[in-house]
Amino acid sequence: MQRQPVLSVRGLTKTFGPVRANDAVSFDVGAGELVCLFGENGAGKSTLSACLAGLHSPDGGEIVLNGEPVRFSTAADAIVAGIALVHQHFLLVDDFTVLENIVLGHERGLFVNYRAAEKKLRALCRRYGISVRPDARVGDLTVGERQWVELLKALYHEAAVLILDEPTATLDLQESRKLFRIIDELKTAGVALVLISHSLAEVMRSDRVVVLRQGRVVGERATSETTPQELTRLMIGREVERKHRGSSRPGRPCLDVEHVTIRRPGGAPILDDISFSVAEGEIFGLAGVAGNGQKPLMEAIAGVLPFSSGRVLIDGELLADLDVHGIQKLGVGHIPEDRLSEGLVGDFSIAENIALGSHRDVFADGHFLNRGAIRVAAAVAIADYQIAAPSAETRARALSGGNAQRVVLARELAAASRVLLANQPTRGLDVGVIEYIHDRLIEKRAAGCAVVLASSELEDLLNLSDRIGVMFQGRLMGIVDARSTSIEEIGLMMAGQKREAA
Amino acid sequence: MIAFERRESAGWIAQAIAYLLAIAAGLLASVVLITITGADVADGLGALWQGAFGDAEAIGQSLAAAIPLVFTGLATVVAFRAGIWNIGQEGQVFAGAMAGYWMSLQLAGAPAIVAVPAVVLASVAGGAAVAALCAVLKTRFDVNEIISTMMLNYIIVYLLSYLLAGGPWIEAGSTAYHQTPLIADTFRLPELFGLHLGAPLALLATAAVALVIGRTPLGFELRGLGFNPVALRYKGVRVATTIVMAMAISGALSALAGVSEVFGINFRLRAEVLNGLGYTGIIVGMIGALNPWGTLVAALAFGAMANGALYMSVLTDVPSALVPAMQGILLLFVLGAAVLTRYRLRFGRKDGRHG
Repeated sequence: MQRQPVLSVRGLTKTFGPVRANDAVSFDVGAGELVCLFGENGAGKSTLSACLAGLHSPDGGEIVLNGEPVRFSTAADAIVAGIALVHQHFLLVDDFTVLENIVLGHERGLFVNYRAAEKKLRALCRRYGISVRPDARVGDLTVGERQWVELLKALYHEAAVLILDEPTATLDLQESRKLFRIIDELKTAGVALVLISHSLAEVMRSDRVVVLRQGRVVGERATSETTPQELTRLMIGREVERKHRGSSRPGRPCLDVEHVTIRRPGGAPILDDISFSVAEGEIFGLAGVAGNGQKPLMEAIAGVLPFSSGRVLIDGELLADLDVHGIQKLGVGHIPEDRLSEGLVGDFSIAENIALGSHRDVFADGHFLNRGAIRVAAAVAIADYQIAAPSAETRARALSGGNAQRVVLARELAAASRVLLANQPTRGLDVGVIEYIHDRLIEKRAAGCAVVLASSELEDLLNLSDRIGVMFQGRLMGIVDARSTSIEEIGLMMAGQKREAA
Repeated sequence: MIAFERRESAGWIAQAIAYLLAIAAGLLASVVLITITGADVADGLGALWQGAFGDAEAIGQSLAAAIPLVFTGLATVVAFRAGIWNIGQEGQVFAGAMAGYWMSLQLAGAPAIVAVPAVVLASVAGGAAVAALCAVLKTRFDVNEIISTMMLNYIIVYLLSYLLAGGPWIEAGSTAYHQTPLIADTFRLPELFGLHLGAPLALLATAAVALVIGRTPLGFELRGLGFNPVALRYKGVRVATTIVMAMAISGALSALAGVSEVFGINFRLRAEVLNGLGYTGIIVGMIGALNPWGTLVAALAFGAMANGALYMSVLTDVPSALVPAMQGILLLFVLGAAVLTRYRLRFGRKDGRHG
């Protein structure tokens, strides 16, 4: 006979416009149990936790807490009811102290009894071995320490259900171990725990795993009765259509990334000793769950983000002393992840966006902008890249996502004579545009460019890339041949399993 | 429920109509204000008009009053278009005037051909340095420029106060007036057609700002900075340098307002002749829609209003304090119009679920 679960989710559904982020999700968590929600990006894990913590209101289904259906309209309601969420993105006030952050939103009456609160907080810190000063200003803390403050916030309110959303993403190895020791203590104390993770090492420490894919629960396993391979298969859950695009003949090495590292004070490094080389005429795919270092890696190569150590060479030339502009002049194009905030100036016209970055050389004539040259370049771009817009003077903000991305492509592919860095170039676009962008990437490869392509679409990576590097928590877990690898192998590496030596 | 929705962009005709309607509405509200004070509206406005444009001399004085506002207005345009909220025009006007005066002391006895350019250059350098200081505080130490420029205004204004109230710059034998002695002829801005050198300089500055913003790589970066600094950084624009450049240019323009008042009109340095030029310039730039030529027109209108206000207060019961109030009202209406050209109102229930 089973005891009544502490938290029980019944058919929970949450839609954002046409997107069903959670579709009839059901699962239970018992007292002293650690349940892991496992899935790819966009599988619905974070939406689910936000619904449980009162940050979103579900469109359907119910949340049952200790046998009682509950409904939260604010996060404070959820905390009062006993559900606390430790956020992946910290929700802390930088200018408040640790203590103030912890009591924030739970003050009762006119005055806050800081003395009592501080006593309780110190007791918590002692009990769980967390060393954070209650009077430290949160803005002065390292990312790792902030993660502990988030956790203390949840512990302080003595939650019956604790949801941890990717808690180890910012912790180094030692601190991660400490976190799991605390989790074990909480289990003993009878707290029901929900862990959101895409790291298999963490998943395997749970009692039960609920696998989500595209908003639905696709499998539930007792952790002791499953294997990482099975979980990965469930997470990816589909046979991939393999149709490798065209034949490539990689030439001599063009882009060399050597031991690139970006450290961050008091936390796990953002990039940890990344080395790889891309040949001309080759597409190098970067796979990984979003937020595992693909974006900083691209930006480090492009010169946008400074790195702590390591070096990058193009055709044997060291990029150390070059800024973004200098690197672009060497023939590097960079399609940033977010086209509207990073790629384009929304209030600039198409023509101005085409000129951006080359406005001091290619499109300048003495002290003035060469408006004739800009006009011509814009007209050529609009024709070449089939940009649907009334004129070259149309503001980028007025364009559809696909057309906006074509503007970025036009500018960056023109710059990329040697290296093209494409970070999620097809995200959020419709099928026609995706096909078009893929064709253009293959054209670049055929023209002898070294292409680095990061994508969350594994199929695209497998079909376009020659080799694929898999990133996990800022590290390159391994590099595989796109033709001979299996999607399961990549999936395991994305979840933190090192590639076994062949 | 009424919702604001961002719209693409209104056509320029629609924008022009919106601005004209706003100005008309502002004038109407001003008429209401005059009525409330109990004065005769026709008399008041008539006197205002007479004072501003009644004869050649009145027109000349209106133009002269507009000159510093052109400079501080343009200073606002350059900074605000770059998305930098420089409200230190006031202090930069003072700094410019003070640096110019300091130079005139150093070069005592120099011929006009050296003296005038030296004074103008020193003043421009003074204004630019003060503004650039705030820019560096912003780019290096993340100090909000609204705070730093505003606070610096007080420091500079009171520094002049110290220099003049019994300090080293006060006119010998005078304690009643906080002012410097008269500036020697050689340092005064030469006159052309009854207006001092500031007038052609203001026209030139307007054209130059329009040219820089519209046609040069620097102007391109300034505008881009105001819209999306992140995308600029991704394309290799040195954002910090651009911010310092924008502020230096803005400060230099404000300084010219100080020079033209002190060395073109009053021939002594004292705070009263500089007070408010910077703050009014912010309004002028905003009413000019942050466009250099629009700012020139707004400055001319404000110069005329300020000049006519004196005459009006002498001839009628309308207090001259009403003019700044009218200027404020106009600003509010014009800002309202600017918002309306960027947004549209949508009536009806907001689509949303509860629960």
